Amino acid sequence: MVEIWFALLCFTIIVFVVLDGWDIGAGALHLIVAKSQTERREVIAAIGPLWSWHEVWLVAAGGTFLLAFPAIMAAAFSGFYLALWMVLWSFVLRGISIEVSGHFPDRMWQTFWDFVFAMSNLLLAVLFGAALGNVIRGVPVNETGTFSMALFTDFTARGQAGILDWYTLSVAVFAPLLLAAHGATYLRLKTTGPVHDRSDRLARAFWVITLVLFPVVSIATWLVRPDLYQSMAVRPVAWVFVVVMAAGTWALWDGFRRPAEMRAFIGSCAVIVGLLGAAAASVFPEFLHSTLSPEYSLTAYDGAASGRGLAIALVWWPVAAGLAVCYFVVIARKFAGKVRVSQDTQGSY
Amino acid sequence: MSDPAFWHRLQFAFTITYHYLFPQLTMGLAWFLVYWKWKALRSGDERYNAAARFWARIFGLNFAVGVVTGIPMEFQFGTNWAGFSKYAGAVIGQTLAMEGMFAFLLESAFIGALVWGEQRLGPRLHFLAALGVATGSWLSGYFILVTNAFMQHPVGHAVSADGTLVFADVRAYLLNEWALIQFAHNQAAALVTGTFAVTAVGAFYALRGVHQDQARLYLRHGTLAGVVAAVLVAFPTGDAQAKIVARYQGPALAAMEGRFESGPMADITLIGQPNVKERRLDNPIRVPGMLSFLAFGTFHSDVPGLDAFPPETWPTNIELLYYAFHVMAGLGTIFIGMMALATLQQLRGRLDSSRGLLWVLMLAFPFPFIANTAGWMTAELGRQPWLIYGLFRTDQGYSEVVSPGTVLFTIIGSAGLYFVLGLLYLYLVGRELLHGPADALTGPQGPAFPVSAGPPSIHG
Repeated sequence: MVEIWFALLCFTIIVFVVLDGWDIGAGALHLIVAKSQTERREVIAAIGPLWSWHEVWLVAAGGTFLLAFPAIMAAAFSGFYLALWMVLWSFVLRGISIEVSGHFPDRMWQTFWDFVFAMSNLLLAVLFGAALGNVIRGVPVNETGTFSMALFTDFTARGQAGILDWYTLSVAVFAPLLLAAHGATYLRLKTTGPVHDRSDRLARAFWVITLVLFPVVSIATWLVRPDLYQSMAVRPVAWVFVVVMAAGTWALWDGFRRPAEMRAFIGSCAVIVGLLGAAAASVFPEFLHSTLSPEYSLTAYDGAASGRGLAIALVWWPVAAGLAVCYFVVIARKFAGKVRVSQDTQGSY
Repeated sequence: MSDPAFWHRLQFAFTITYHYLFPQLTMGLAWFLVYWKWKALRSGDERYNAAARFWARIFGLNFAVGVVTGIPMEFQFGTNWAGFSKYAGAVIGQTLAMEGMFAFLLESAFIGALVWGEQRLGPRLHFLAALGVATGSWLSGYFILVTNAFMQHPVGHAVSADGTLVFADVRAYLLNEWALIQFAHNQAAALVTGTFAVTAVGAFYALRGVHQDQARLYLRHGTLAGVVAAVLVAFPTGDAQAKIVARYQGPALAAMEGRFESGPMADITLIGQPNVKERRLDNPIRVPGMLSFLAFGTFHSDVPGLDAFPPETWPTNIELLYYAFHVMAGLGTIFIGMMALATLQQLRGRLDSSRGLLWVLMLAFPFPFIANTAGWMTAELGRQPWLIYGLFRTDQGYSEVVSPGTVLFTIIGSAGLYFVLGLLYLYLVGRELLHGPADALTGPQGPAFPVSAGPPSIHG
């Protein structure tokens, strides 16, 4: 039961990163990929009518985390207090700038909100990278099962580490590059004309950078947590994700060579799923690895809700997820294909 | 800063009060959109489509602010109330996850399609999008109210070996008596907010003499739905809510009424100022026996006052609780009278020419927001000093690892951000209202995006 809920929680988070990742990546590139007002509307329309549906997967993950692992959710969210509030504020700015920038076609108004949009997305990408880095490196969980983290301490990645140190910073740089590549691959699929051509160039550039940096980040991870590679080596589930990642990389290469835009986009999604899935499979059962002492680490087994709650939730949760996929298919089919600015933007005056 | 719980409470109170200004209008307006889309689908009458298109623009803005201020709410359970999450997360996490999985994923799948996608979707699916959003928003309200009802009147749980709560009985939890009553009361109150908004905009246009056709539509539907909703808030839902508070939260009812001494033939106080130190109400105007009747059904029932309960179970802010309750109940009564009068004039065909009444209806739109807020303050202040009534006290629930100074930092940051959000919202909604529904008549998207209105490139 604990394994299932760990998997479902990771699934929810990975769905969020893949879906909202293309919004965040496209958003972070917004100012570069689109120059004129019309082009910028095109990018917003490509992110389109489902951005809040993507974001809701994070809310669903928060609720699922609380229901399945209440003690760990409590320790993690209070321990990452300031960083999480920065995420929340970025979400506020991101959401509001999507909604208001198109509301009337004033040049300064739109320039301002497009800038806020790009910056909040960039900040989100950096913060999610830092978050992933923290989960991999571990946090200073103490004997009470809680921790309180400074935003930064001595940058050493040991002991009373801060949220930002040399390792988490390296992931915090890698994540925006990866999401930018993902977002550009999405825009390449959804747009036409100059935005499409710029997305194509940016996607190629960012994928090359990402794939070059990937070994560097992997070595950094090995320096910080060598044990993760040992557990990955003995877990077949992790191998599956490594294969998914390799297949995604091939689809990317092929999708840019031919070019086949949908194939490249699916490859992009697969790379992210594979990367995060392999990380989750290697980290299990530890949710929060303690940098102070291994016996303080919070594992899924220690932190899972007891009683019948998990069995009950296992009945309704997949039903809800299935329904959600149905809505998505209905709406996504209606909005399939390239964006048409005249049709897909809010009428304004 | 000596009491950390205070700062965590202040932040939650501020963020939830601000947030709930938006969902109440979302939930209230959603069924207007569904109804208008349905009428348009059935009759082909473009007036209904125009009304739906115009209100969908306001709805979209309102929804967006609701979403962005709503996300911090769920996360605060973990960031600021870690003690509570650890203790009760296995129970309340069920409904918070259900809200995300069932309600938000439904709502958010269709909101973009509702606001942006009339052309892409076609009339039938566009109607279904409105229905999906309305259903999702009400479902989300239900799951949150079940969560709150558990805190007001805990049922369906068990205590595990380590002292934390576990989920035991899904039926008892989801069909908590408190949740059903509170949901009915709260949703009726949200409808009041929606109907007052629609009526106020109708009155505004009628008084200005613009968009006459649409104005008549808003006035007719707003007042007819408004009088029903306003009555439902008081009876049976408000009445049932008061009775359940009387049954399970004796000290809360006593404090709401400013009743310090027990006894039969309990008065209801219309106005007066609680003087907790002296244990009395100053300058009271009372109706004898009414409280006994309303709470327990007969004039002779004995209604316990605060003296019947140990002081450590008294609500921590009796004065504010008393005022919150009286503001809510007073406004609720005024709403019934106002909407009844408007409906009467509407049915006589004279509402369009009753300029005095139109002024009142136009200026009345903020008051349902105040009444809803006061109602929630009544529920939440009445629950104190408990976080989960009778089980877990508020000062056990906050995150001990987060210092009050850090909380103040996020309070200040959120206040600044929310202030900007408020200005933006008022500006953009005001702009929509001044522009009006005129070009909503011209086509599914209004006028095409006027690319020519701005220079082609901001860089060159």
